[in-house]
Amino acid sequence: MKSSELKKLIIKSLEEDAGNESIAGRLEMEGVTFDFGRDFTRKVVDKVFSVSSEIVAERELFRSMRFVFNRVALTGVAAILILLFSIFLAEGSFSLNSFLGIGDSIDESIVCLLTDI
Amino acid sequence: MKGSYRQADDTELIKASVNGDRLAFSEIVERYRKMVARTVKGMLGDSVFSEDIGQEVFIKLYNSLSDFRGEAKLSTYIQKIAINLTLNEIKRRKRFFSMFSQDGDNELYEHEIPDPETEQKREAAEMVNKALAGLEPKFRIVVTMRMLQGYSTKETAEILDLPLGTVLSRLSRAQEQLKEILGKL
Repeated sequence: MKSSELKKLIIKSLEEDAGNESIAGRLEMEGVTFDFGRDFTRKVVDKVFSVSSEIVAERELFRSMRFVFNRVALTGVAAILILLFSIFLAEGSFSLNSFLGIGDSIDESIVCLLTDI
Repeated sequence: MKGSYRQADDTELIKASVNGDRLAFSEIVERYRKMVARTVKGMLGDSVFSEDIGQEVFIKLYNSLSDFRGEAKLSTYIQKIAINLTLNEIKRRKRFFSMFSQDGDNELYEHEIPDPETEQKREAAEMVNKALAGLEPKFRIVVTMRMLQGYSTKETAEILDLPLGTVLSRLSRAQEQLKEILGKL
């Protein structure tokens, strides 16, 4: 194609009624092609999947940490419940004195205990 | 299906890629790399940075594939990512060159010549590249969509999120600029 024809084609491609797919095809036939290097696809896929495998490793770590946390948390809650239950059995109430282990004591006996009389 | 994705449609490829199928994602890249190259190189020129932006487009696509709901065509979705990243790069370079150089804009859009097969083809490619390089970025993007990608004015407006009237007026002004640029070549 002569350069004057090519110029006309370029100008025509911008007109509203131009059949652009055919113009884009004709330009490609004239050598107006755009592409990336030969290894482009491989490079992209390598990058994508190396990044995503890092993400997978991070996710695995978080998952195992959450698993450990759940175990510890459940054990802790169970221990607290057992403790509350034993306090209730021993003291018969959930008052502050029961928690401190002095539910049955009277002030005088505590004074006696502390002063070793 | 694994291993032969040539015949697979985009939906199947997306599903397989989201599940970590390397081959399926390779097929998506193969299928759309030329389209992305036309947008990126059409706007930035044939530089090493264009390939980096091209790679970034597909990495961003992969990271957002699980959010892709299929409301638009995959090609349109990729095209939008390519346009956004390319425009960001143009802005970034503009800022960089305006800090260090007074003539930055001229260097910025200078295009290298793609691999020539024949002298005539080389000249044709050079002419298109020079014509694109001479346009303002906002005109260059509509010209790239129309001339290199072959989208209609309506599709161009949809992809660029612009009113149809704006696209038409930009095309008309781009045409005037192109006539002037090509007249000098």
